[in-house]
Amino acid sequence: MAKKNRLKDLSFGQRIYITEILKGLRLTLKNMFLPKFTMQYPEVKFDPPASYRGRPVLAMEENGQERCVACGLCSRVCPALAIEVQAAETENEKERYPVKFEINMLRCIFCGFCEEVCPEEAILMSKDYELAFTNRADAIYGKDKLLTPVSKLQDRINFVRQFK
Amino acid sequence: MGILELIIVSLIKIIVIAVVMLLTVSYLVYFERKIAAWAQNRIGPNRVGPAGIFQPFADVLKLLLKEDIVPTAANKYMHTLAPMIALFVAFSTFAVLPIGPSFTAFGKVFSFVVADVNIGILYVLALTSVGVYAITFSGWSSGSKYSLLGGIRSSAQMISYEISMGFSVAGVILLAESLRPIAIVNAQSGWMWNIVLQPIGFITFLVSAFAETNRLPFDLPEAEPELVGGYHTEYSSMKFAAFFLSEYANMIISSALIVTLYLGGWQIPYLEMLKLPAGWVVTLQVVAFILKLIFIMFFFIWVRWSIPRFRYDQLMNIGWKVMFPLSLLNLLWVAILAMIL
Amino acid sequence: MPKLIIDGKEIEFNPGQTVIQAAKENGIDIPHFCWHPSLSISGNCRVCLVEIEKMPKLVISCSTPATEGMVVQTQSEKVVAARNAVMEFFLINHPLDCPICDEAGECKLQDYAYQHSVGESRFTEEKNHKEKRVELGPNVMFDGERCISCSRCIRFCDEIAGKKELTFIKRGDRVTITTFPGKKLENPYSINVTDICPVGALTNRDFRFKSRVWEMAPTKTICSGCARGCNIDVWTRNNEILRLTPRFNNDVNSYWMCDNGRLNTFKHINANDRVNGPHIRKEGELIKVGWDEAYAKTLSELKSFAKDEIAVLTSASLTVEDAYLVSKFVRSINVKNFDFVKNIVPGSGDAILIQEDKTTNAKGVELMGVDSSKGGLKFDEIISHIESGRIKAVVLIEQDLIGLNSAFEKALAKLDFLVALATNFDTTTSLANVVFPASTYAEKNGTWINFQGRIQRIRPAVTTIEMERSLDGMSLSRWDKFGTDFDSWGKSQKNDARPTWKIISGLANAFGTKYKFTMAEEIFNEIAHTNPLFSGLDYDVIGERGVQLKTETMQIPPLAGQKKVKI
Repeated sequence: MAKKNRLKDLSFGQRIYITEILKGLRLTLKNMFLPKFTMQYPEVKFDPPASYRGRPVLAMEENGQERCVACGLCSRVCPALAIEVQAAETENEKERYPVKFEINMLRCIFCGFCEEVCPEEAILMSKDYELAFTNRADAIYGKDKLLTPVSKLQDRINFVRQFK
Repeated sequence: MGILELIIVSLIKIIVIAVVMLLTVSYLVYFERKIAAWAQNRIGPNRVGPAGIFQPFADVLKLLLKEDIVPTAANKYMHTLAPMIALFVAFSTFAVLPIGPSFTAFGKVFSFVVADVNIGILYVLALTSVGVYAITFSGWSSGSKYSLLGGIRSSAQMISYEISMGFSVAGVILLAESLRPIAIVNAQSGWMWNIVLQPIGFITFLVSAFAETNRLPFDLPEAEPELVGGYHTEYSSMKFAAFFLSEYANMIISSALIVTLYLGGWQIPYLEMLKLPAGWVVTLQVVAFILKLIFIMFFFIWVRWSIPRFRYDQLMNIGWKVMFPLSLLNLLWVAILAMIL
Repeated sequence: MPKLIIDGKEIEFNPGQTVIQAAKENGIDIPHFCWHPSLSISGNCRVCLVEIEKMPKLVISCSTPATEGMVVQTQSEKVVAARNAVMEFFLINHPLDCPICDEAGECKLQDYAYQHSVGESRFTEEKNHKEKRVELGPNVMFDGERCISCSRCIRFCDEIAGKKELTFIKRGDRVTITTFPGKKLENPYSINVTDICPVGALTNRDFRFKSRVWEMAPTKTICSGCARGCNIDVWTRNNEILRLTPRFNNDVNSYWMCDNGRLNTFKHINANDRVNGPHIRKEGELIKVGWDEAYAKTLSELKSFAKDEIAVLTSASLTVEDAYLVSKFVRSINVKNFDFVKNIVPGSGDAILIQEDKTTNAKGVELMGVDSSKGGLKFDEIISHIESGRIKAVVLIEQDLIGLNSAFEKALAKLDFLVALATNFDTTTSLANVVFPASTYAEKNGTWINFQGRIQRIRPAVTTIEMERSLDGMSLSRWDKFGTDFDSWGKSQKNDARPTWKIISGLANAFGTKYKFTMAEEIFNEIAHTNPLFSGLDYDVIGERGVQLKTETMQIPPLAGQKKVKI
């Protein structure tokens, strides 16, 4: 039976290794003189595209009310158990609203499943990536920090709708 | 030269070498980070001082202010001893390496070497072997499995590569007919550099030097992904800094050794044809040594950011099945060469 | 037995059974909304259509009697198409508000929409609008738009609760459910309609919007409301009980439980007035102390009284294990004034489930020897002796005596020393000198013997500080399983309480008697070895449905108003 050629069957030039080393060295040397991509971060800020998944936020309508109906699907789908929702009854047409909506940003992994599963387009991934806390309690974002006017999220809403 | 004079001159040399070594090590770390960044299309440290040139001082300050942690399971005596050995070995090796030729000033003969020992090369080889103890001790005394594995790997690796290193050096000694570093440099005058005469020996020595300094592609003892830092996992603060320092000092020494043994030391071919005054010649030769040294050090860093780490079995394979026979072959070749010349 | 063939599988059935019953008994699930094993057949939902050979049209399996040699298809092309069509009709007017609806997660319509529907609506017109948020009664809320008019709730009120309170009104797509004029849905079993409602049209007002069903962990246990011992599930989230639901047990409670048991037997467990840690009265105030201090204080005080000056009174709701150890301990210290407190409310029972005896384990406590048979005083005599000052110290176990009858306050106030094992601070503990925190029925393992003489297991659903959900084998929600102490739900309140048997065993230790029990199961095993009535029993044998004890003295009244249903 003829010997089958495999990817790992190397030629003599490759086996001797020295030429391969030189090739590698040439590549890194070339890269040293190519233009740099570094962004001078605190002075220059990254403006993410609509597809960027920053911290999740809750959409707030013009009248100051949240879209969220506290169905708890985001909480259920969250692989990291970051979201905790407590529902309560309101007089609005949609009888249910979140009396408590907390995202533990220490648990959040920015997967965007919550946004994908939301039936009300209420939770969206924002462009906010500047997250820093000095203690565990600060990392739990309540409704006060999560509610964001819809006008600021239009970019993301348009992006998400492409895939509906 | 009186004994007092010898002591004073030697002390001055030691202080100068130590200060220069420390500064060089700091900036070597800085350039390591810069070159790494360039190779990856980044800028590198640029916050502390213009273009980040004070970064090394910030690093040292940070390490100084860190808490010194000794694990409960550690053997405290050995744990403290290990970084000291590492540092001692790194600094004392440089004593026998000549930077430039001897010159005459104020009616006296000075040399660019702390101690012109007639068995200098043996001394270097002996001290680098002692360096193994630092790593083995630190690995064993930390009482951590990562450290222990790193320490064991390291001793195995260093012992294996010391053999091919020794045989490569033997080739050089055979041609120079001396163990004195200055004599070896003098034997390479003109284009009689050992890199030209015994290229195989140069390659085996270079590879062994990489292995002896635990640099990529032979940094198995440290292997961050699998050993969390290897033998110095359990070190912090200045003890960690001592290891760090000795590692880079070893790199300088290896580079200097390569320059001395294979690149003709301070020699510049055809310099004597220019008929320059003696002072100029000495200056140019020292500059030449430093430039050669910088190139080799750059090469060390360059290789690190280009080549991935070997697997342990590959490391042993290369050491025993490739480097060792090659260095023997080189010895044979040099012997023939010595008969012809 | 006659046989029929369903989906190519030969199945035996009892004469008189319908096709759906025969199928269900043999593990073949035919979708159904209006059919309920315990209710009469209505046949209005049409989801259970099946194809039967030699019948010209599809028939509903819930009202078709099974006959010998019948060949039934439940998955044929025709049946699937018909089922799709029926589902599409249901979904035309059913609102798409699952995110808001409390039933989501345990909704039959939702499940069947996934399993038996195409998932696309061809209906572009405006959906029908009906009344929402109608308060049918004090405990039940009705949403007309979600209703699929299966009539289960109407049949439940007529047939099980025996009160004709609900009915359909209007016709066609305007049909809706309402109470009869001037009536409300207020029979003592009203909340059961929310359990049998296949959609979210009827909801429990006590539980509305409290939690999604998948966030809670159910624990199979027994209701503590009366001597019936209805099998229930206790639903917990973040170590807090949010609702109780009946669990099927044909020998005890079928599919039902009463509203009182459902609403009023769990709220004290997560209340703020729980006794948290042992307390000793110092200068008129109850001060929290360590366990050892409380034991030592009890010992030194009780030692200062003569044996006939001491009485031990227990509740009749102790577990069998608690009662056994209390009894063993009281005998060992030679106290003879020993009895349990009955709590029988005449006229409060009915022929359905509710019993007049409001305690859960009167039979068990009696069987464990909690009585004055060793020559002591009975309960009434103990009270009169307290009043006359001849009994000066009382150990009161899990019994709020004053809450039972405020007339006892005068007697208890005369005592020199009162030890109370209590779950919550109440009027009785306000007179006690030492209060030990007892675990509630939802925080311990144990067994109760109901009025029929049936022994049933209770299981912990809420943790005390000594317990850990996963290590103690308790039911776990996703949050319990993966949470840490740093999560907000990991910080829910846990009380420093112990089951009565453990407190008694600590007290016995102070008295110099060592009991080597580390869990309730070991006590039960000892009972099973020593008491012939319990021989051969252990926790596994009792299982989820309980075991009928073979006592000749116990009569077993049949479950009134129930059809015998075999499942």
